[in-house]
Amino acid sequence: MRALTLLIAAIVLLPLAVRPAIASEIWIFAIFGLGLNLLLGYTGLLSFGQSTFFGSAAYVAGYLLKYYAIGIPLALGVGAGIGALSALLVGYLCVQRSGLYFIMLTFALNQLFYFIAYQWTSVTGGEDGMPGIPRPALFGVDLRDALHYYVLVSALFLLALWLMKRIVESPLGSILQAIRENEVRADALGYNAPRFRLAAFVIGGAFSGAAGVLYAMLFGIVPLEAIGFVFSGNVVFATLIGGSGSLYGPIIGSFVFIWLSESMSVMWARWPLLLGVAFVIVVLFFRGGVVEAWSRIWRFSKRTA
Amino acid sequence: MLYALMGLGLSLITGVLNIPNFAHGALFAVGAYFLVSVVGLLGNFWLGLLIAPIGVAILGLLIEFAGIRRLYAAGHDYQLLFTFGLALILNELIIVIWGPVGISHLPPAILRGGVDLGFTFYPKYRLFVMAMAGLLVVATWLFLEKTRYGAIMRAGIENKEMVSLLGIDIHKLFTLAFALGAYLAGIAGALTAPIRGLSPGMGVDMLGIAFVVVALGGLGNLLGAIAAGLIIGIAQAVVAAYWTEASTAVIFAVMAAVLLVRPQGLFGIR
Repeated sequence: MRALTLLIAAIVLLPLAVRPAIASEIWIFAIFGLGLNLLLGYTGLLSFGQSTFFGSAAYVAGYLLKYYAIGIPLALGVGAGIGALSALLVGYLCVQRSGLYFIMLTFALNQLFYFIAYQWTSVTGGEDGMPGIPRPALFGVDLRDALHYYVLVSALFLLALWLMKRIVESPLGSILQAIRENEVRADALGYNAPRFRLAAFVIGGAFSGAAGVLYAMLFGIVPLEAIGFVFSGNVVFATLIGGSGSLYGPIIGSFVFIWLSESMSVMWARWPLLLGVAFVIVVLFFRGGVVEAWSRIWRFSKRTA
Repeated sequence: MLYALMGLGLSLITGVLNIPNFAHGALFAVGAYFLVSVVGLLGNFWLGLLIAPIGVAILGLLIEFAGIRRLYAAGHDYQLLFTFGLALILNELIIVIWGPVGISHLPPAILRGGVDLGFTFYPKYRLFVMAMAGLLVVATWLFLEKTRYGAIMRAGIENKEMVSLLGIDIHKLFTLAFALGAYLAGIAGALTAPIRGLSPGMGVDMLGIAFVVVALGGLGNLLGAIAAGLIIGIAQAVVAAYWTEASTAVIFAVMAAVLLVRPQGLFGIR
């Protein structure tokens, strides 16, 4: 409950601190992170290809928004559907394996989708991206206003969070965690581990897809980077710095990540260099992420008090 | 053949060290840029080809020593993040040092022009690269198969605990394997430079291909990596002749198709 109060306070206060576009980006990235965290934190699957689903959904929904003028609910539905479908395809090939193999396969298939988007210029615009994605009105509210759109994004974020909470606390969530802890044992209990991993993969893909559509509408463009592997890496980073074990980890991570990248990108055109340095520093010195670091400090202060 | 080199190096690193090396593509690119700089400085292609990969191997040594060594106990997620961060750093450093625009680099004078093979006309330099890469693959294979160090390295892939129980410094082995993998990536990059030119994005493109080669060859299966590298190279060349745009995507499609039938890779046992 306290977490929810804090979250709502953050949602209300955030647009006062930063531009609404950046505030929206934070919550969109958090939805993206929630999807990955179901895999990484709860199922123990490190997917390095989340942008496959993010980008595919953004392209398809963006195309429909642009040329067929579909509404926002349909666009989001299509996005989540495409995200789930592409995750089903990729997941079907990957879930048989785990560990290093799984990471490499998700990455390689991410590259496959990337090159399709890169070469299929007549639809995706190739390197230039797919511009001109409209933001249609919803229930008569004009969403072209950045603040209005922010309200929609944060409402959808809360919905996504609630859904994810229900999923991880459901029997399915428990089975996924059981597979993470001890796959052989879960298997012995009669749970078909690859099938459950695939289910987690598809759900994670749907979340990524929805985030992708929101992203496309936020910036009015689907850039080629949205399906590139750096994007996949970024969401892994955001989830890890937030702390992948907890439901709220990716939210905090998304805050830190967007804030970091936004402030770096105005500093220097070569800001990915700084981002890389940040990755390395976090890995070498701050493993466990913000949530873990916080609880360490909290425990420490309680002991001294 | 170049793919076989890349795959062999990456397979060695993933097999022995058990880490996902996302910096492998960046090492490849650094090898190419080192070559251009050394040739620019010394004016001799052969010296460049000798020195540039050694530079990459030293870089690999430093990376293993300063970072990766501390991460063996951490999960794959942190190892991935670390090597991914490294790839970003190296890639951006390339842009900072050598500029964002692609560079073209000519092969040395004796290797310019082509040879008439009777049925087709083939550039000399490409023949040289094939011979060179083939030689390196064979040399690496002989090293792994016939020497004491090679035997230790293969043993390290099979069972690390056993190797260290036999009194062998496993950390030294890891460092050596990473440096050797980096060397192979570096020389592959150096050899590529005169064929395709240099661009900051070259590493990422190669990284995906290297992962495909390793996945097809079977994790830690070095002979498998060589064979898969050849297969992928040929498949790409054949498709490129008919449908140039799809030649990169086809690599990944081949991988997906193979994995559907054989999830453990073409030559994988596990």
